Amino acid sequence: MTKKGSDAIIERFRHITENPPEYAKSLQAKGQLLAGYMCTHVPEEILYAAGIVPVRILSSHVSQAMTRSYMHETYCSFSHDCAYQGLAHNYDFLDLIVTSSSCIHMGEAFNVWVRFAGFQDKSFLIPYPHIIQTKPAAGFMVASFGEFKQFIEKFVKKSVTDEDLERAIRVYNHTRRLLKRLWEFLRSDNPPITGPEVATVTLASQVMDKQECNQMLEQLVQSLEAKPGKGPSGVRLMVTGGACDDLGIFDLIEHLNDRASLIFIDSCTATRYFWFEVPEGKPDKLQALAEGYISRIPCPAKDNVPGTGEKKRFRFIQQFIEDFKPDGVVFLYQRFCSPQPMDVVALKPILDKLGIPSTELELDTTVPVTQFRTQLEALVEIITRVVPLE
Amino acid sequence: MGSTWSVLAPLKGLGEDVYIIGGEPHAASMAGTFPQESREDISAAESAGLGFHSCSYLKLFVGEVVRDKIAIPDGTIKEGYPKPDLIWTTHLCSQHSKWYQEVSRRLGGIPMYPIDMIGGGNAEKDPKIVNYVCDQIEEGIGWLERVTGREFSNELFIKAARNEIKCLVLWGNICALNRHAPAPLDERRLIALFPPAMVDRTTDETVRIYEALFEEVKHMVETGQTVAPDQRFRIVYFGIAHTYGHPEMARILRDAGAEIVASVYTFGTAGNFRGIVNGKWSWDPLDPAWVDELDLSTRRKAITELVKIVLGWPTWQGVRSYWALESMARAMITEYKADGLLLAPSRSCETDFRNGYVGMQRIFKGEIPTVEYDSDQVDVRKMDLPGAQRKTELFVHLMEAHKTRSA
Repeated sequence: MTKKGSDAIIERFRHITENPPEYAKSLQAKGQLLAGYMCTHVPEEILYAAGIVPVRILSSHVSQAMTRSYMHETYCSFSHDCAYQGLAHNYDFLDLIVTSSSCIHMGEAFNVWVRFAGFQDKSFLIPYPHIIQTKPAAGFMVASFGEFKQFIEKFVKKSVTDEDLERAIRVYNHTRRLLKRLWEFLRSDNPPITGPEVATVTLASQVMDKQECNQMLEQLVQSLEAKPGKGPSGVRLMVTGGACDDLGIFDLIEHLNDRASLIFIDSCTATRYFWFEVPEGKPDKLQALAEGYISRIPCPAKDNVPGTGEKKRFRFIQQFIEDFKPDGVVFLYQRFCSPQPMDVVALKPILDKLGIPSTELELDTTVPVTQFRTQLEALVEIITRVVPLE
Repeated sequence: MGSTWSVLAPLKGLGEDVYIIGGEPHAASMAGTFPQESREDISAAESAGLGFHSCSYLKLFVGEVVRDKIAIPDGTIKEGYPKPDLIWTTHLCSQHSKWYQEVSRRLGGIPMYPIDMIGGGNAEKDPKIVNYVCDQIEEGIGWLERVTGREFSNELFIKAARNEIKCLVLWGNICALNRHAPAPLDERRLIALFPPAMVDRTTDETVRIYEALFEEVKHMVETGQTVAPDQRFRIVYFGIAHTYGHPEMARILRDAGAEIVASVYTFGTAGNFRGIVNGKWSWDPLDPAWVDELDLSTRRKAITELVKIVLGWPTWQGVRSYWALESMARAMITEYKADGLLLAPSRSCETDFRNGYVGMQRIFKGEIPTVEYDSDQVDVRKMDLPGAQRKTELFVHLMEAHKTRSA
């Protein structure tokens, strides 16, 4: 049966997440320049302003046998999988590969592309501060973004004007607002869209041309606003952690023995990707970009306020808990990830104080469905026993 | 308290009564002095919620905080973890500043100042990076004054800065003497001799130690002396100092007349060299007299020279730059006339000590006998000792065969 309305749009987004290279190639066939990027700290606006569509490199969820002789086995499966995409030549058609200095694991995935997958002469690493909440960090970012802009200008053989940048900033901010609106549907107890569907759309937006993405998002939001809810939420679960593009996990959360609903994901493949805006209309566009990117929900690899050592992300998480009212939290992170477990250990006491039960799931190349199901059902059982649902 | 990968001299601007507990040296010396206690510290940290795959230095260190006791290399264990006045540290890898966030949290919120040393190949020659790190240190000095209520002394700082630079340069010179055949020092002696440069390199006393050592090792070279007379095979080693915790590994090499004569860990963590010159790495030492002539007349000038020297450390250069790491290995093999390259990535260290080496084995195996096995800096559970021993024996055979073929 052909899907209609919001379901048809969601289906189109899902199709894109299932085969990002196919979507990217369709853009290239229309003459579009494409740049792969490996971390969401890349200021995509600079690429977009130059007429290049940024395409996030995501996993293929296949065996890591090929990457083991290029990257140590104790690097996370997401970084292995992204390295695999280069070694398997799944993205040879890209015009560029770029990343920003972020976590060491993803840095190595980028290195594999540059050293061993033929991208040596078409790559750029943007030096990006690791401690972002400082005055010197902002200045450094402006200088660094400036060098990146120069590289891109040389690549496309034209200058990127302030008008180009302002236009790109506005297009990207529009995407961010629409995605935010989509997630906000999940605050309701009877939303017209499910958490896994919102996660799918958010993931698709990371590999899409934002103009096309915005058109689809506008239609989707409009259609959802007129749509009745899909039924009352079950146990409301919030996910917090690292990169996860395995949408099957989110579907699993909504298909447990007891009814549970995914209502929020704090990760760089979900809300951390877009939950910020770049100031518009500022005279210095690179300064505006720096301000915008500093205001993001921090990645755990970059979250350390000098003077106190505070983790600023925790403030966001507590705000999200207040706004989205989860009954439980799922810590979902990549096995071997370094910064995430260091945050979990400090975040648990905060959740305990709030009386919110939690569980930890460690991700690998493939998902151990039965184990995860058992853990999630145990969490839901704990929640329903302690706080009986009406 | 904090990382000894930091620029340390600013702490000495607060006075001569500032004492430092450095994370990695403390954890390493504990593992060597109290192996059983160290295991319990690591287990305690894991029971308290730290990940199995996290850095074992970090876990050993946090484990002591969890158990509320501290071990001291003189052989005593004191009950009650000493609360530091402040934490001054760096962001080296994705765990490093998290390490001290956790310590600060567990000790009730110790003020901490992490410095983003956004290193990687040639960083000390990039004014953008140098200024960025200098600006953070300038702000950090203001923070030190606010937190301690003490006035910062430029005079004390500048003196400490010159000492810090001098120690790093002297250590580079001492290491460079191992180019001679026979190499005067082996890896175990280098490991034993570099802690003063790691723990506190800002004092006159430390400078005197390394000046005396430099003279002594020079004399060894002049008279053909060495601590390891049988050096049939000269090895270049990339990895953390696991032979410290596993003397049996060093013994296999020694029994075969093979010695580690150069390593990025002992050379590069506390030593400075010429670094990238015309696009290629050079392990040539810097002239110690150059340090005496450095213009450190103002706070900013002293900060700038310090930042350049610390960003120039080989280990900083290699952490985030595969090409610098490769260039270092290539230069070390040539300059130290190596017969083999031994790579030992540490399972719980995510920096160059783990991943860069996997790629390096792929690159170097066609050029020189190369073996790679996993190790861990202080967590003995993660070391496949029998496997590593077999690979080390194989490595010796490879070098033997290579030598026979070349003869």
